Amino acid sequence: MSSSSAAAGGDLVRRMAAVVGRAQCISDPSGLLVYECDGLTHGRTRPGLVVLPGSTGEVVEVVKLAREAGLPIVPRGAGTGLSGGARPVPGCIVVGLSRMNRILAVDLENGAARVQPGVTNLDVSRAVASAGFYYAPDPSSQSVCTIGGNVAENSGGAHCLKYGFTVNHVLAARLVLDGGEVVDLGGSAPDTPGYDLLAVLVGSEGMLGIVTEVTLRLLRKPEATRTFFATFPSTDEAGAAVSGIIAAGILPAAIEMMDRLAIVAAKAATGLDWPDVGAALLMDADGPLAEVEHVAKRAVEIAQSVGALEIRIPRDEAERQLMWKGRKSAFAAVGRISPNYMVEDGVIPRSEIARVLRDIEALAREARLRVANVFHAGDGNLHPLVLYDARVPGEEERAAWVGREILRLCVRYGGSITGEHGVGAEKVEAMADMFGEADLDTMSRVRCAFDGLARFNPGKVFPTPRLCGERPGPYVPHPAEITGQAERW
Amino acid sequence: MVAGARQGTPGDAVVGVVPRLVLEPASVAEAAEALGALARDRLAVTFVGGRTEIELGSPPAALDAVVRTGRLGRLVEHAPSDQIATVEAGMPLAELQRLLAPHHQRLALDPPRAELATLGGVVASNAFGPRRHRFGGARDVVIGMTFVRADGTPAKGGGKVVKNVAGFDVPRLLVGSLGTLALITTVTVRLHPLPEAERCVLFAGLGPAEAQELVAQAKGAQLEPSSVAALTSDGALDIAFRFEGFAPGTAEQCGRLLSLAGKLRRSAELLDDGAARGFWARHDAVRTGGSLRVKIATPPAALVPIASGPLQRMLRSALSSGAAVLYPTVGIAFASGDPTSAEEASRAVAEARAALAALGGSLVLDAAPPAVRALADVWGPPPPSLAIMRRLKDELDPDHRLSPGRFVGGI
Repeated sequence: MSSSSAAAGGDLVRRMAAVVGRAQCISDPSGLLVYECDGLTHGRTRPGLVVLPGSTGEVVEVVKLAREAGLPIVPRGAGTGLSGGARPVPGCIVVGLSRMNRILAVDLENGAARVQPGVTNLDVSRAVASAGFYYAPDPSSQSVCTIGGNVAENSGGAHCLKYGFTVNHVLAARLVLDGGEVVDLGGSAPDTPGYDLLAVLVGSEGMLGIVTEVTLRLLRKPEATRTFFATFPSTDEAGAAVSGIIAAGILPAAIEMMDRLAIVAAKAATGLDWPDVGAALLMDADGPLAEVEHVAKRAVEIAQSVGALEIRIPRDEAERQLMWKGRKSAFAAVGRISPNYMVEDGVIPRSEIARVLRDIEALAREARLRVANVFHAGDGNLHPLVLYDARVPGEEERAAWVGREILRLCVRYGGSITGEHGVGAEKVEAMADMFGEADLDTMSRVRCAFDGLARFNPGKVFPTPRLCGERPGPYVPHPAEITGQAERW
Repeated sequence: MVAGARQGTPGDAVVGVVPRLVLEPASVAEAAEALGALARDRLAVTFVGGRTEIELGSPPAALDAVVRTGRLGRLVEHAPSDQIATVEAGMPLAELQRLLAPHHQRLALDPPRAELATLGGVVASNAFGPRRHRFGGARDVVIGMTFVRADGTPAKGGGKVVKNVAGFDVPRLLVGSLGTLALITTVTVRLHPLPEAERCVLFAGLGPAEAQELVAQAKGAQLEPSSVAALTSDGALDIAFRFEGFAPGTAEQCGRLLSLAGKLRRSAELLDDGAARGFWARHDAVRTGGSLRVKIATPPAALVPIASGPLQRMLRSALSSGAAVLYPTVGIAFASGDPTSAEEASRAVAEARAALAALGGSLVLDAAPPAVRALADVWGPPPPSLAIMRRLKDELDPDHRLSPGRFVGGI
């Protein structure tokens, strides 16, 4: 078997096709093209073969065949990830879970839904909406991204400020390991005795195995939601409003900030009649009616007290949805004002928002580029969009430099290099800014407990390639130590 | 002998096993040094905080030394505007709450005996209280950790911000690992605002069917209590709903719950502060009393039926002055008392486990006298992922020196 970027050999293709069906086995160059990258489109690698299994049993057989052939496996959902988490490695087998898109069981009494990994995030909420339930994590890509991908990346979204991330909403998962073993982690009852393997599976970026079933927590919809849109002269006042609201003991369901450039872009894309201002906040409060009305009123007062220019309260649900559409489409909207852009994802302590934004502005000036900021202000999760024109020599490199420097800023301010997009292939180097060798070695050991050959999704998360069992042997004392003639400590 | 160690005494025993040595490092660096020294001498060690959950788990298969975390008691950082705090593992939970209160904040973990329970111990034993209904458990509020590995290597995971997906979530993996993977040295937690108002509504003497109906109705009514807990000793259930938040919201929710009581033709009362304290004191007494305590976990909707079946039979036949706490929305109950006999107790445990197995639930002995331990396994049947757990242990503690034999499946 060739280990280079060449397509997989005919024998393997035949054997895979026997498992999943010929149509679900893609080996021709034009078919493979789609799978060369995920939502992070630069840095493409052609896989050796793409297989699209339709059941846990088929995944097991695919994993076994890949193991026999000695080929790495890269799991993939909808390919909407923004960190290259589903980027192939040369010659690998991409296992696409898109066909496994059924909701298997809904148990409203226990607030749980068992689903296949290829189900989209929004389809889960849609399936239970009429009964008054929903699935809380809501990444902006929720209409297309899959639950399997959400589990791999521990996806968040605007409303995770109050409701938490994927890890807080996964009750159980079925996992296919490297040897083809099928293991269930967690369960419909809480606190399964033993290590909380599910907690580390979520967010493991497809490096521990392939998830073929997930049991999700469903929440009862809140009684009421109150939303307001507030504009400010600059991000300083908007940041002060966020701090003031949090300091007042309010936990909004979501509180989002956009800067001037992001507002301009969102307006251009959606036709919203937002004013040209320095910054805007979009806040949701939800819960029991009386509590929410009180909280929303207080939050509006706080925004006004720190210098809000205008407060808009949606007249109805349609107008509210439109405001949110403006926010959620902001990434794509930036395409209206710039030929190219890079999306960053970093986290800072919420109280440092104003300072960090000024530092980002300085970086942009230094690189002679523009940066639009859209972010989850409540939890300090920045999404700077670095605008550039790839046709201008040097701009793409300068944009990449700004992105890297922003991540360094995040670490310097005590934050993180990623809040929700994952490390993937893109940020492996930045991991070394945040974690030392012992930290990374601990993570690597965890991986080795699941996947002893490190064959699932290689090249992600870790700054340097790691193999299992490759470490100094146990400490052996010198004979002089044993006899007490020398000491090591 | 490891430097700085003292002789172990019966007061240092871990489930009846007395360690030869006791170390009390006064800093994270000293803790790392201590573990390095123990590694050099290949000594088996158990980590001890406030001893509130020391009975959880089997007796250690080997115990040369105990490392106590009591002198690791500092608040490393509290950033009120970021609502996070980093504390050393030995700080008692109540002390942390006292430091946070002037900033109108709290850690939303409320296991009993907060004066004694240390942060490290709470996290390592996955201890929790009634507010888990709203805020989740330790895994939902822990955002970062530093720890020392078996070989004495200090390491960290997570960070200081709530939203963070950089790298594998080692801190969450250490939650509930009972000191068998590493020594937790500092814990970084997400904080919540102290509520402006707290109110409690009590439904006394409900039958199981009524209790089930009430909990479902309250959920259907979109009420958002911070705790739902029931107490029982004779089969009848006293259920309290606690509401926390801003005054207008909590008042309105209590009003709606009381009117729901009218519809269900049950009486309910809004408790005054003293009465509410009384209810939670009874709750704490059940959670901490007796020489035998069991923890039962089921899918939430199955809890009340289990409580009126096998759990009720356990209270009647196997425990003298037994009582139970139920968290019907979480799916966890605790029963406690003194066993009438080890045989009766182990029979009742086996019966409950058989019923729970069919539901995907579990029963764990939170505390048990030696005679009961001799007849009933502490953890019950191991989960299907035991092989991965064993490999994890091999990876992080290859010599099996950290509380060997204490954990699930003899890990």
